[in-house]
Amino acid sequence: MSLKSVHSSPAPLQVPAEPVLPASTPRLAALEPAAAAAQAGGELWAGLHLPDLANEEKLRSLAAVLQGFTPRVSLEPPDGVVLEVRGSLHLFAGVEGTRRRLLAACADLAQPAVLSFAPTPLAALAAARAGRSLTVLSHAQLTGQLSSLPLSVLRWPQPLVERLARTGVRTVGAALRLPRAGFARRFGAGQLASLDALTASTRVVRRLFQPRERFRRRRELSCELTNHEWLLNAFMPLLQELEQFLRARASGVMQLECHLLHREAPATCCVLNLAAPGGAAAQLAALLRVRLETIVLPGPVRALELRAVTLLPRASRAQALWQPGEHGGSPGSEAHELIERLRARLGEDALHGLTVLAGHRPERTWARSTPPAVSAPAGTAPVQMSSGPRPLWLLPQPQPLEVRAGQPQRDGALTLLSEPERIESGWWDGGDIARDYYTACDAHGVRLWVFRERHAPHGWFLHGIFG
Amino acid sequence: MGDPKLARLLEHPAIWRGRSAAKLEVLPSGFAALDEQLPGGGWPRSGLIEILIGRFGSGELSLLVPVLAALTGAPSARWCVWVAPPLMPFAPALAARGVVLDRVAVVGGGYPLWAFGQVLGSGACDTALAWARQPQPKDLRRLQLAAERGRTLGVLFRPRRAAREPSAAVLRLGLEASAASLRISFLKGRGSTHAVVQLAHPDADAIV
Repeated sequence: MSLKSVHSSPAPLQVPAEPVLPASTPRLAALEPAAAAAQAGGELWAGLHLPDLANEEKLRSLAAVLQGFTPRVSLEPPDGVVLEVRGSLHLFAGVEGTRRRLLAACADLAQPAVLSFAPTPLAALAAARAGRSLTVLSHAQLTGQLSSLPLSVLRWPQPLVERLARTGVRTVGAALRLPRAGFARRFGAGQLASLDALTASTRVVRRLFQPRERFRRRRELSCELTNHEWLLNAFMPLLQELEQFLRARASGVMQLECHLLHREAPATCCVLNLAAPGGAAAQLAALLRVRLETIVLPGPVRALELRAVTLLPRASRAQALWQPGEHGGSPGSEAHELIERLRARLGEDALHGLTVLAGHRPERTWARSTPPAVSAPAGTAPVQMSSGPRPLWLLPQPQPLEVRAGQPQRDGALTLLSEPERIESGWWDGGDIARDYYTACDAHGVRLWVFRERHAPHGWFLHGIFG
Repeated sequence: MGDPKLARLLEHPAIWRGRSAAKLEVLPSGFAALDEQLPGGGWPRSGLIEILIGRFGSGELSLLVPVLAALTGAPSARWCVWVAPPLMPFAPALAARGVVLDRVAVVGGGYPLWAFGQVLGSGACDTALAWARQPQPKDLRRLQLAAERGRTLGVLFRPRRAAREPSAAVLRLGLEASAASLRISFLKGRGSTHAVVQLAHPDADAIV
């Protein structure tokens, strides 16, 4: 219930290295309209206490249901929800009708709940936490009805409640009767503020619950289509709608499901994965085009559906003035788009990076890695373990070489050009090797990296090509 | 030609003036003898070049490693992408020769020519290397345009017998290896003669 999340902290005036909004850009939260306080008859809040609630996910799904009663729903984690119902009472047959419906909504989600009505949200919630189904309609009755509630319903720190209990203050009424100045001095201004919120001496700005959003649109086609180009055109309005939807929410998607519905066959689903949150219709259409080319449709398509389940916040990015590569322009979104296009057609593992591992056995000194970071500072110190020459190509498996008169052969005898480099390692994990490596040259001038096993039968193997 | 304004205008990289001193944006190859013969004095900054090799491993990669090292080591380096290499490049050897592995990516899977075109045209790469068996002349034209668009140096390795086929590449080199040296013949290039360059084998110094 603080205002902290509403005000953006003043940003220091400095030019960022890259024209990008900070990732933690504060977003405006929807708050209570102040004018609503002035409505006729005052507010009436329903407080729901759900003692058996397992997680916040359930709380959110309940809140989404409760938004059918009023838009002014606010979460009180971990186990409470408050909602303002004055404006909705006449729609649900008064307070009793509203009570029945709210409890039925909780019962549908298999949540036992205690419901109270009071003119302030904290009072309604406090009564519900005490297990009482109160209905307090006016401020005049509020203090009297709250007096008998135990202090624990305010969820103050336990040591403080014990201290108050030792002085004989065990109920809300007793706390309210204490002198204000002394109470604030001895027990803290925060506690006094919460007593004020309880009795509506001060108004507290509440943060409204906002359900998690998802995008799901369907388009029935006026005629059945099989042509990929036409299908892509038919998808365009949906993609443009998605772009607007995402732009309005400053969000992007990383995964997009495109469903193609057929008359008889089960729907064809193609999932587009993006390397970074995005949402431009042109970008998605280019990906979808590549993706559709790889798909064989089981029949004509009669309807299209687009689903974006998880929306991610996306900082808008300034377009660079220079083309990449021009005047030191660095790669930005181009790299992401390239990864996405390659993956859309060639599969998820189409692209990988290379990395060096510490060790002596040539097979185990490199590994595949995730694709290189787009703008990470290049400059991790390479692990330098070997001193001898290393070929630019390594065979996946050493390839046995024919031996004639003690000379290894590959389209003729090989000439050994170097002194042997002995690599003997790996005895501890069963993958032990004992080899003498040589640089060799074949009759065509191709430089090869060959080795001779130190153990019998002393076979010769080709292991790399210098290239 | 004495007009300095005209002279400055003619320095524009897009104006090609035959064998004259049209200013090309180039990258030093790392081999002085080769730079002397390359148009503009180095590998072109963008565009498609072809290296025709008699056998895989004739030293074609050693020829490019210095420029790969220079490009990946630059402060605002873009990627260096290997499209469908016949074997896996050996990371420790690349790192030992100064190639920054953080900037290296390998693309596998089918459709190498399509992937090469995407990589060249994306603008995300400084260099791209590809191995393709039988590209059609129209594929090469498309790749050359993509490389210009993405400001990427694209290198396509092809067998020696492809020398007879027409190509849209800005530069075509033939490469043959012998025991101690590399023989580079210029088959096509803006303003280049049909010169032949002999280089000591780049890996010769690595051999004790």
